[in-house]
Amino acid sequence: MKKALSVFLVFLLLVGVLAGCGPDRDTESNAADDQNTNNSGEEVEKPDKLVVWVNDEEKQKEALEQIFNKYTEETGIEIEMVAVNMLDQIQNLSLDGPAGKGPDVFFQPHDRIGDIVLQGLADPIDLGDVEGDYSKTAISAVTYDGEIYGAPLVVETYGMFYNKDRVSEAPKTFEELQKIADEQTNASNEEYGFLMEAANLYFVWPFFASNGAYIFKRGDDGSYDTNDIGLANEGAKKAGEIVKNWFDQGQIPVGITPDIMNGLFKDGKVSVVINGPWMAREYEEALGESLGISILPEIDGNVGKSFVGVKSWMLSAYSKNKEWAVDFMKFITNKENSLTYFEVAGEMPANEAALTDPLVTDDPIVGPFAEQIQYGEPMPSVPEMQQVWEPANKALELLSNGEDTGVLDEAVEQIKANIIASGGGQ
Amino acid sequence: MSKDQSEKEKRSQTVGNKHNPTFAMVLSILFAGLGQLYNRRYGKGALLIIVETAYLIVFADYMNIGFWGLFTLGEIPMVDHSIFLLIQGLISVILLAFGLTVYIVNIRDAYKEAKEIRGGKKRPTWSEALRHAWDTGFPYIFITPGVVMLMFVTFLPIMFMIALAFTNYNQYNSPPRKLLDWVGFENFINLVRIDIWSDTLFSVLAWTLIWTLVATTLQIALGLFLALLVNDPRIKGKKMIRTILILPWAVPAFVTILIFAAMFNDQFGAINKDILSVFGLSIPWLTDPFYTKIALIMIQTWLGFPFVFALFTGVLQSISKDWYEAAEVDGGNRWQKFRYITLPHILYATAPLLIMQYTGNFNNFNIIYLFNQGGPAVRGQNAGGTDILISWVYKLTFETNNFNMAAAISIIIGFIVIGFAFFQFRRTRSFKEEGNI
Repeated sequence: MKKALSVFLVFLLLVGVLAGCGPDRDTESNAADDQNTNNSGEEVEKPDKLVVWVNDEEKQKEALEQIFNKYTEETGIEIEMVAVNMLDQIQNLSLDGPAGKGPDVFFQPHDRIGDIVLQGLADPIDLGDVEGDYSKTAISAVTYDGEIYGAPLVVETYGMFYNKDRVSEAPKTFEELQKIADEQTNASNEEYGFLMEAANLYFVWPFFASNGAYIFKRGDDGSYDTNDIGLANEGAKKAGEIVKNWFDQGQIPVGITPDIMNGLFKDGKVSVVINGPWMAREYEEALGESLGISILPEIDGNVGKSFVGVKSWMLSAYSKNKEWAVDFMKFITNKENSLTYFEVAGEMPANEAALTDPLVTDDPIVGPFAEQIQYGEPMPSVPEMQQVWEPANKALELLSNGEDTGVLDEAVEQIKANIIASGGGQ
Repeated sequence: MSKDQSEKEKRSQTVGNKHNPTFAMVLSILFAGLGQLYNRRYGKGALLIIVETAYLIVFADYMNIGFWGLFTLGEIPMVDHSIFLLIQGLISVILLAFGLTVYIVNIRDAYKEAKEIRGGKKRPTWSEALRHAWDTGFPYIFITPGVVMLMFVTFLPIMFMIALAFTNYNQYNSPPRKLLDWVGFENFINLVRIDIWSDTLFSVLAWTLIWTLVATTLQIALGLFLALLVNDPRIKGKKMIRTILILPWAVPAFVTILIFAAMFNDQFGAINKDILSVFGLSIPWLTDPFYTKIALIMIQTWLGFPFVFALFTGVLQSISKDWYEAAEVDGGNRWQKFRYITLPHILYATAPLLIMQYTGNFNNFNIIYLFNQGGPAVRGQNAGGTDILISWVYKLTFETNNFNMAAAISIIIGFIVIGFAFFQFRRTRSFKEEGNI
């Protein structure tokens, strides 16, 4: 009896609490109105400061600090630099942004743009007349759904390293490269003509793209058709056979890892490898004068289309000083500042004038990569891309284990299924 | 006894007779502390009134939004953040639970005390009341900070995960741009109904169970075997041997795993290149799922046996020699001595820890992920050939952003581990009840 009574009373209390639930919306809609009027206003007041999230890396911070100081001198706007690891920025922004603690500007690789837009974390920006100052590949990379979402700072891609003691000059065509692999490989002696991470779509992409494969069909306006996956078309099968052949012939060892590849190349046992500029210093230390760097070889008359990654400054949707934030983004990616960043942090500039500056092109290490950029194509930035890597790399791994190219069809099926299962594809 | 005192006694007696427990209870239900005031426990009553008032003032607004958020998960995209609201809602539930506990204790206290007063109990003095509160409340006072911490650090994330399993949170439906919705058991239904989930789920589950049973049993068996050997009186240099055998435990596991991963490499690893090549063998350790599984089980045995070995060695030394002497007198052979004396002794003392070994391996993410990232690839399956449930969940969450599915699978993992542990602990208890020790 007592129990029943108290249960009943507790229930009453709960109902009472729940009935009174819910926020008072009046103030919220007013705030939204205020913001609208603000946006349409012509004169934008100069903010005291802008908050910028930069990648948590010493060299990069050092470079950016110089550039940020210049901006403060020029405009009087203070820049608050907050170091947040690039990989953590999206998650932190999705939590800090709504809470009003987020940055005005943050820094992300372009292949996350689709995901960021899906979460509503970034606003498109208008680069205005400086749009043409950036490398075309970079602008195409940061374009999503027809709008530009980032001010590109850095581009990166991979190229070819070769050992001058083993090959006199870099192979110019795929046929030459294959010849080196055929003639100089002696697996029992751990000597290889040509090595790469061939079970990784990122590196092996030039062989696919140049044969006519595509990940998602890209329209003229730069949008991707995620229902049209070209990873199992004729060109892809052809590239698949190439990859399979390397492994079947033992020209590239099954289960190759970056460690093994780098180790062998540094020991002087490999003639040619495909890798990114981040390995250049290490290779140079090991091989010294013998190290050569070049762009990728031609496949059917065109230089191999490497994947290009672009890191750009993005505008937080929660920023209250959007006009000035964009102004700031343009400033820090102009030619002069891009070069400063290149000199201090060592990353290739996305600004076309800076990228073609002798300072970059004459650099024996970075030069070839800067040249490769123009032949490359940006990784798709659509969120569906996240569902591509796993199945595609799995298919390559299966090819390396001797399976037939039917695995590519299965990979495409799986990518489609994954896209639907993860809630996309509508 | 003076006249004055007996007068007082009488009065309190009559007051006591009229004192109504139900009335006290109702008063306390209306507002915590009122019943206590009626019971003339002014200090306690005032304290409870302050507590409830403070609780209402501080938390009412927070819990208001919290419960609204928990039910609706927000109404306006970009303004309402479903994840924040969900967490606020769950915190509100915890706060409410704390509040209700205090509230119910207060009601019961009022009722009980009123009843005692009617029964003629005298009002305790201040110091008596304080001492009583201290004596009975002591453990509660000291346990409270821990419980509160536990609620927010452990319980809240678990509730959050369980809640996510019933939402449609994935890459395409992420706050703040989109709002989450409650979808009931849809994720669990999809897990068995949609092919890419169900195919993978069952093969991963099967391997997870085999992995748990085989790897753990082997590490326990090896530990036991070595402990018995080292404990044999004929063995010399026990300390030395023991130290060596415990070494695998002393090296951080992730270092060992990474070194093994390099050693097992098909072409360049020491095992194929230097050891097996002598016999003309080359085994695809990292590219054939079967051999990867074998390698994983061997490595886990290597990593896991020293703990079991140390545990058993300790117990073995504590078994009295009298038992064995008695057995010898009765003509027991070596096997019988082991079966009826040694084994029951060590199992009795170590069973709970051994069960922990099983549940630990069930969720042994480190070794699976560090050795081969759950690989090698298997045709027509979403997860790798050696992915166990927990590493699959990791991939779902961090590589493909299927947060809802990952949460649903985590709940299944939780139930399996709970079931496993429950069953085993029950077995252990029945073992104890047999009383053969």
